[in-house]
Amino acid sequence: MSWSEILTTTSALMQGLGVVLVLFFVVLAASMPLGFLLTLCTRSRFKPLSWLVNAYIYVMRGTPLMLQLFFIYFGLPLLGEPFRTLFFDALTCALVGFTLNYAAYFAEIFRGGLLSIDVGQYEACKVLGLNRWQTTTRVILPQMVRVALPSITNESITLIKDTALVFSIAIPEILHYAKVAVSRTGSIVPYAIAFVIYLALNTVLQIFFNWLEKRLAY
Amino acid sequence: MEALMHVEGLCKRFGSLEVLSDVSFTVDRGDVIAMIGPSGAGKSTILRCLIDLEKADGGTIEVEGEALVKDGVYAPPQQARQITSKMGMVFQSFNLFPHLNVRRNLTMPLMMVKKVSQQEADQRAQELLGKVGLADKMEAMPSTLSGGQKQRVAIARALMLNPDILLFDEPTSALDPQLTAEVLGVMRQLAADHVTMLVVTHEMSFAREVATKVLFICDGGIAEAAPPQELFHHPRDPRVAAFLGAAGKKD
Repeated sequence: MSWSEILTTTSALMQGLGVVLVLFFVVLAASMPLGFLLTLCTRSRFKPLSWLVNAYIYVMRGTPLMLQLFFIYFGLPLLGEPFRTLFFDALTCALVGFTLNYAAYFAEIFRGGLLSIDVGQYEACKVLGLNRWQTTTRVILPQMVRVALPSITNESITLIKDTALVFSIAIPEILHYAKVAVSRTGSIVPYAIAFVIYLALNTVLQIFFNWLEKRLAY
Repeated sequence: MEALMHVEGLCKRFGSLEVLSDVSFTVDRGDVIAMIGPSGAGKSTILRCLIDLEKADGGTIEVEGEALVKDGVYAPPQQARQITSKMGMVFQSFNLFPHLNVRRNLTMPLMMVKKVSQQEADQRAQELLGKVGLADKMEAMPSTLSGGQKQRVAIARALMLNPDILLFDEPTSALDPQLTAEVLGVMRQLAADHVTMLVVTHEMSFAREVATKVLFICDGGIAEAAPPQELFHHPRDPRVAAFLGAAGKKD
């Protein structure tokens, strides 16, 4: 392949970048708060809620994400309305499936983060008169995020790579365009370019999280 | 003398283990009460019941005439919070907020609870840090402080909310003798300012020299309550004499 062909192929692959970025940012923004909510539910004193959420986490973590995507995109519409309309669009299905799946992982990550916080922190909050909301947002969450950050980094890197799974429900992303280019040119280079693009994305991500970790250190 | 706190028949069990049985005492304004006794006797549990970190199984705790718990029945949460807000607490392990600097450790609770402005809270923080001898540590992170400095910040933080009674749960037990001295120095100063204090401690010299009243806690109850001169020099309960004898040898 010539340099100009490499350039053309790269820009062809870049057509898939938008989908990757939309998936990444929307899923991260939605699954982290949802995951924290799940964590709080598992700690609820209302036992049925905590059982239900634990069962949810168990299922979402214990089954393949691709199966879950198939279930939502190909399966649910078979049940008729309103699912047929709701899950008609593949990207919607991907966003929903990824968010539900990643929320389960984040719930476990946050649970670990909460376990690391000394009971004395809660007691100090109580004797200082902070209510539950103030205790959670001002004292517990910031410390939990700091502890959970390496795992959050890990999960984010996995998310970038997992976006390639939407290939299976016919959403054109980087992998799709790479495959098309390979069929057209008969060259291995488009795959190599795909490698580089994913790596580049994750490099930016790691630099960002390293910076964040330093910033949040105490 | 004005009674600030009245405790009557306080009981506490952990499972089948009876930790406190029938503890009664009164705290007057300006009192510095030292609670001494062997480990595991229930000293800390008493303090933790007073500020509602542990639930008593029976008895009455009244603070300034309002009952946190009366004959084992607790006030509703809102009211309980209002009653415990009259007390501040200093912990053995400091429990500073590690992600906030000293200034925010002091000002955040005050601003959350009493809705004062940052400026006003800063001013009060500066004043109280000066009082505990750490005026220059306003912007320091807790992780950069020594244990003694951390505990002095914790004392300043407890004072921020202007409590009527300050509870100390073994404030110097995690500190070496030199750092202990610097924390006890601050507590002596508070006593001189007539701050009402309840102090669970193993520092006999503090109990002897600073306390107005000493409670000797043993086997889940108050074995002897007396002014320090009396309790230290003429103990009536043989368990007190035995404990002080052992403590004296250790010194």
